[in-house]
Amino acid sequence: MKVLTAVHKKIKDLHPHEAIAPGTGLCAGCGGLEGLRMGLKELGDDFLICNAAGCFTLLSVYPFTPLKGSWLYTTMGGPVPAAQGVRDALDIRMRHKGLEEKENLNVIVVAGDGSSNDMGFGPTSAAIHRGLDFIYFCYDNEAYGNTGFQLSAASPYGSATQTTPSTDVHEAGTEMNKKDLFEIWKAQKPVYLATVSPREPIDLSNKFARAKDLKGPRMFICMSPCPTGWGFDPKEAQQIAKLAVDTGIFPVKEYFEGEMVHTVRPRKRLPVEKFLERQKRFRHLFAPHRQDEVIEQIQSRVDDYWRKYD
Amino acid sequence: MKTPNKIMLTGNKAAAWGARMAGVEYVPAFPITPQTEIVETLAKWFADGTLQGKFTNMDSEHSMFMAAGSAGATGVRVFTASSSQGILHGLESLYTITGWRVPMVLVNVSRALATPITLEPDHNDVMSTRDCGLIQLHAETCQEVFDFILMGYRVAEEVCLPVLVNMDGFYLSFTREPVLIPDEQEVRSFLPLYTATQPVFQASRPMARASAVFGGATYTSFKLQQELACRNAEGCFNRVAQDFEKHFGRLYGPVETFHLDDAEYVFVMSNSFATKGKSAVQKLRQQGIKAGLLKLRLFRPFPGEAIASALAGHAKVAVIDQNLAPGMGGITYPEIVTSLYAREDRPEKILSVIGGLGGKDMDDQDFMAIIENLDKLDGGSPLYLYDEKDVSGFNRLQQIAELKEAES
Amino acid sequence: MWRIRIHGRGGQGIKTASQIIGSAGFYSGFQAQDFPLYGAERRGAPVIAFTRISKDPVLERGPILSPDIILIGDETLLNDPQSAPLCGAEPSTIIFVNSDRTPESLKHNFTVMAINLTDLCIQYLDNHTVYSSALSAVGARLLGIIELPDLLQAVEDELTGVSSKVMKGNLDLARKIFEVIQPAVVSEKVNKPLIAKQLVFPQHRPVIEAAPIILQPGNMALRKTGNWRVERPEIDYEHCNNCLICYARCPDGVIGVDSDGRPEIDYDHCKGCLICAQECPGHFINTVRETGMFP
Repeated sequence: MKVLTAVHKKIKDLHPHEAIAPGTGLCAGCGGLEGLRMGLKELGDDFLICNAAGCFTLLSVYPFTPLKGSWLYTTMGGPVPAAQGVRDALDIRMRHKGLEEKENLNVIVVAGDGSSNDMGFGPTSAAIHRGLDFIYFCYDNEAYGNTGFQLSAASPYGSATQTTPSTDVHEAGTEMNKKDLFEIWKAQKPVYLATVSPREPIDLSNKFARAKDLKGPRMFICMSPCPTGWGFDPKEAQQIAKLAVDTGIFPVKEYFEGEMVHTVRPRKRLPVEKFLERQKRFRHLFAPHRQDEVIEQIQSRVDDYWRKYD
Repeated sequence: MKTPNKIMLTGNKAAAWGARMAGVEYVPAFPITPQTEIVETLAKWFADGTLQGKFTNMDSEHSMFMAAGSAGATGVRVFTASSSQGILHGLESLYTITGWRVPMVLVNVSRALATPITLEPDHNDVMSTRDCGLIQLHAETCQEVFDFILMGYRVAEEVCLPVLVNMDGFYLSFTREPVLIPDEQEVRSFLPLYTATQPVFQASRPMARASAVFGGATYTSFKLQQELACRNAEGCFNRVAQDFEKHFGRLYGPVETFHLDDAEYVFVMSNSFATKGKSAVQKLRQQGIKAGLLKLRLFRPFPGEAIASALAGHAKVAVIDQNLAPGMGGITYPEIVTSLYAREDRPEKILSVIGGLGGKDMDDQDFMAIIENLDKLDGGSPLYLYDEKDVSGFNRLQQIAELKEAES
Repeated sequence: MWRIRIHGRGGQGIKTASQIIGSAGFYSGFQAQDFPLYGAERRGAPVIAFTRISKDPVLERGPILSPDIILIGDETLLNDPQSAPLCGAEPSTIIFVNSDRTPESLKHNFTVMAINLTDLCIQYLDNHTVYSSALSAVGARLLGIIELPDLLQAVEDELTGVSSKVMKGNLDLARKIFEVIQPAVVSEKVNKPLIAKQLVFPQHRPVIEAAPIILQPGNMALRKTGNWRVERPEIDYEHCNNCLICYARCPDGVIGVDSDGRPEIDYDHCKGCLICAQECPGHFINTVRETGMFP
């Protein structure tokens, strides 16, 4: 097996370059933006982002772009095929039309969990199947955030969204389980697949640095704490991200050459409550009365997951 | 007489040859009847090295048009083809990429839309793309299919909009007729190999495209630019058509007239059924009825002036729509009537006719029925080409489909 | 017709304020219409909402361009070009600012008044960021045509779902403001004769201008999001040990590193999420409340 070396050791070694200029209309404290910012630092400016409809549509609003590289807004279901067209066209021009190698672009798809799990899911699966040489960055805030926080297939069991509110009849709010996009993508054996957290910038940067030099589908799912949709003070975004990791709710992992490893392991897992109780979307689990059954179910799912690896 | 470069081709093969001779570099594809033969043919040519570039099997028309658009924005000559439900499935992408202002040619092989699902042609599919900013050319013959693709690239690459070439499924797509394929040198002198004139994606030229706008005024500014670009494409088409004639000897105006000069009765038609209309005109003329035909060719931008000039001064006009907007009627009818409104010499009667839905054939008796209705003072509009035989056939099917009270 | 325009920031209850005034006007027997205007911008970004109250049917829709009353929920917006709270104000327009100070320069041209609603909100609601009931009470009282019971009913209806303690605080706050403020004289606008617009036929432009294409990478920095800030993070350089955790954690990348390796905050763009202050291991980043700079 090819040994993947860690490029970065500490915060001060992070690439000083910023590929995203400030001034965007994204929410103060956006966890997804922090993840993308860290990732792009590693990739250099020769990139093109094919963007899916979602919160990050606000990155570029005419006549402004924050990016040092290129941007193409597509549709909610179309960023991956757009990446295919760009990749193919660049390959054709380099192979047959004399385009120099230095003109090549890293083709990146940026999509929210809504696009990734729902509308853009089929086209993404198709692109992995075709072996498309691209990087996919899913900012996962576990709902349709841009439209005001409605259920997506990534909304976790027990969370309240605008379209799965907690009521006397449906106390838990969301009664379905979060789609396991990592496992689904993994089944297609992309060349590289990882989950990343904005609270783990070294881990995140190392993963992008590794993916950069590989060829084929390189997939990232970034846990993206969302102050607006999850209901917490923006300054707590990183602490919420940390709790997601420390409670084991969000496993930070990597799949490469047939092996899956957890790259950041919570030493002693905290109870899931520590993560849940600080967010408005889970408030109904604690008040007006405690929903022990729901909380226990969330805990036991996390325990079941880690039992396989402990 | 058989010439070395005149060969028997279906409409689909003519389309594939058009793309081949145009030197297309990229074909994202997805199969759908009756279009599949086009992409199958191109797939073979890319696979065996006849064509240089890439053929990519996509996962849907939505994805296919998106890949076509983004490749257009990255500087290669793009071709693709679809039909019917595929056009509908990809419609969001079509609207999106026309706004990107990227050149390409796509072929639509017309097929009626569900429900009920069927394979045979009518024009509701192509009409659904009427308002999305594409340039549309409608072909009657396999030769037109081939020629329009070459002309289409010239227009598309000058005005930076996708060009859609339309042909009827079955009646053209699977119908073979002789098609003149010019040699490559001739084609190159008319349509050189592709070099993008607009900025395209590459590392040395970072740019953001298709960014969101806030505010109606900015949106309006961009939309009006799209409108102007599309309107100006008519002049571009005419220039390209003249150049095409210089090279190949065939002149294509935005409309085609057939026995129109002294016609008292005019059929307005498009695509392959126009051939049937022409035949009926000849027979009617033998009977002493002064009939003529106007064939729509450039449908977007809408050549209102050319259409009005052709139809003005003629007494009776029937606009035959092979499409149906339920609750409204024919889709092209109001556009044609509008183009004539300001003319003092506009026809005294313009009848809307609905026919050819789902591939329903049109014969001489249909055309005679239209003439009769044009003469009626109180003839209802729209006129549906639907007769007793159709009703009794439908009744027979219903007897089989329905559980009758008496029998149960 | 009376037209009220309310300026604030996402999360301050500006839309709700417009709805409370709308409902209160409706309960007082008037025709009413309210409407929020927010781009896709987020929490902290400028927000505008509108309320129309009328004896006759309201034959207007959309933004109010020349308001009778302007309520400014956040004094920092006064010189914000994006919010432009004074846009369309006339000498007859009554301008209210949530502030300790009445901006002197505005007094020459407008009727201006100021009250520190923030302190009142802290006193009654233990919350200094949500002004829905306070601003709506100011607006309703200034109009002089809305009765207190109707306002209180509207507060109750529009804030449905909050705890009884919060509700009581809001109702008390509205009562208090009704006491403190006196109705203003709002004169009815006289219609001016209509003048036709000079329309132009658009010029056809080359594709590079005709399509949304941006060729200036990174020009987003021209947009200053520093005005989103309610509180400002300040690095205590005496104690800062340049660990750069703040630099790594800032989502907008507005903390740079200077040539001495010290973190440096770009206040033109810092949105004030305060993650840096929260994450600083030594707590060497202080938070300071922003005050407005009057024009």
